[in-house]
Amino acid sequence: MTPQTDSPMPSYTLNCRMSREAAALERLCQVVRIRGFRIATMAVESAGDHLDIALTLEGTRPITMLQSQLEKLHTVAEVALGQGSSVRVQSA
Amino acid sequence: MNGAQHILEAFHRHDISTVFGYPGGCIMPLYDALVDDVDVEHVLCRHEQGCALAADGYARASGKLGVCIATSGPGATNLITGVANAHRDSIPMLVITGQVPSGLIGTDAFQETDVLGMTLGIVKHSYLIDDADTLPVIMEEAMELAQSGRPGPVWIDIPKDLLLAEVAAAPLPAPEPRENTCPNLTQALAMLRTARKPLLYSGGGVSLAKAEAPFRIFAESSALPAVVTLKGIGNPGKHNPYNLGMLGMHGSRAANRAVDECDLLLVIGARLDDRATGKLDGFAPNAKMIHIDADAAEINKLRPADLSIRGDLNDILAALTDALENTPLAIGDWQKQCRTWYTTGGFQAADNEEPLAPITGPAFIRQLSRIAPDDTVIACDVGQHQMWVAQHYEFDHPRHHLTSGGLGTMGFGLPAAIGAQFADRNSTVINVTGDGSFMMNAQELATIRRYNLPVKLIVMDNQCLGMVRQQQELFYNNRESQINLDDNPDFVAMARAFDIPALYIERTDQIRRGIETILAFNGPMLLHVAISREENVWPIVKPGASNREMIDETRRTSTANKEQVA
Repeated sequence: MTPQTDSPMPSYTLNCRMSREAAALERLCQVVRIRGFRIATMAVESAGDHLDIALTLEGTRPITMLQSQLEKLHTVAEVALGQGSSVRVQSA
Repeated sequence: MNGAQHILEAFHRHDISTVFGYPGGCIMPLYDALVDDVDVEHVLCRHEQGCALAADGYARASGKLGVCIATSGPGATNLITGVANAHRDSIPMLVITGQVPSGLIGTDAFQETDVLGMTLGIVKHSYLIDDADTLPVIMEEAMELAQSGRPGPVWIDIPKDLLLAEVAAAPLPAPEPRENTCPNLTQALAMLRTARKPLLYSGGGVSLAKAEAPFRIFAESSALPAVVTLKGIGNPGKHNPYNLGMLGMHGSRAANRAVDECDLLLVIGARLDDRATGKLDGFAPNAKMIHIDADAAEINKLRPADLSIRGDLNDILAALTDALENTPLAIGDWQKQCRTWYTTGGFQAADNEEPLAPITGPAFIRQLSRIAPDDTVIACDVGQHQMWVAQHYEFDHPRHHLTSGGLGTMGFGLPAAIGAQFADRNSTVINVTGDGSFMMNAQELATIRRYNLPVKLIVMDNQCLGMVRQQQELFYNNRESQINLDDNPDFVAMARAFDIPALYIERTDQIRRGIETILAFNGPMLLHVAISREENVWPIVKPGASNREMIDETRRTSTANKEQVA
């Protein structure tokens, strides 16, 4: 999905806690991509057996759809939609 | 015990007695352990895709976990289509592959592929074992995960050295107790009682939840007019007077009309797939929607529900039945209207009275439906024959109809029929296939012969890729492109080369004798049925169009039908 020049592109922050397993980040990123979102920023911190991942995402589909798909992942413990979600103008 | 022996121990604990696989270098420790195991029957298919699709067919027909096994590299990549097929249709499956030894992972070793990475999008979950001691617990977790909630394939990739490593004994986790709380249905019942034109819309989720019996009771006792998705065929039963059949792209006029006019859609175990709904903007425009499903992610995914209920369909359906028992819905006019639509817009196809006339697909399937025993399992492939089966075969149970709904995998039917026959050695299993699909996994004829499975094979041969040809005719200005298969092999001779007897028919008066002959034969037999190259599946909705815009044969030559797909 190629973003349109100067078209409004909703932006969201998503915080996710998941188990530290072999393909944890790939699994998360694969779902984000196939469900129609692009990762603008990603920060990962290890916390014991878990990873805490903070994502800034861009995409035009409903973010709740992505949230429910991420919650289905067996190794995802929690997905929280951040307060910083907004609509911003995407420049080419 | 080593890792391989622990895998077999897990099979024993869970009564897994049949697995489908193909050996190779990195999975050899498991095959070595199988030599001494008398409780697990290993079915050797002739291609790993056949293994995965046979495990899928076994699971669909039995409701049990399907298991397939392969080696690393090409063994694993050959499984992928079959596992993707199971993923798209939510089939419970355990996939076990050998991997190159731990120390060689990431070195481009012989037959190394990144199985974990390449399969992320087609599994419910996956594991790469890095510590042999975790294997018993992961086996338990994987089998539970594959079968619980919304089922799906779970893949365990195990390096060869860990299959050989001794595994420390450790207690297994106790299974988690099942939550048994039925959601509150007060609002759903109020909506049902208020509606004047309620419609029951069910899909594959009913049999995935093993809720066939409570669904049947609810459908019969509520007397709601009912439509089904491709995977929901058989849910209402063949004798339900309000069953309008399949909706959607190749659905009945009656089913699509009822969806168009209903004022309440009660969706149970269905995900509102595009082939069923057509263009969403025009789907059930006058209806409120109650969506009941086991998977929260399906709720509001494509169309917002006015009321969503997540939970076990068994509990919910039983509660709905009880609630309606003493005060039935007052929908007599709507029931009558739907029956009228079904009489004029169901899947009727007149039998051809002319004995020497060529065989048509719908007429053949209707004869098959009348002659075959009620509990026959039909494993379809993908294409025109698949839709003729969906339209014209009268199924009395969803597990009797094995079809690749989500992925649409040509080559599914033959291995799926093998799996179904292993699920019940005494059942009648028929693979209805087309000449294109048949050639996708024809090597599995050798599996049928090896295990002397009495699978019947019906090849509906129109010498082309009929569904593609049909869409090229209707939507691409009749510009045929790469659909010609008129150089097919002689299918009768081909079957006989596998020591499977075969029969060829081409005229209407040969249909009955052909079907009766293969059904009566004590063993596998192939029926090669020649049908017209020009025949289409009717009705059809152009991909992306509204279900209101159904095209039937009488409109075949109109200009409106010949617009190119955007």
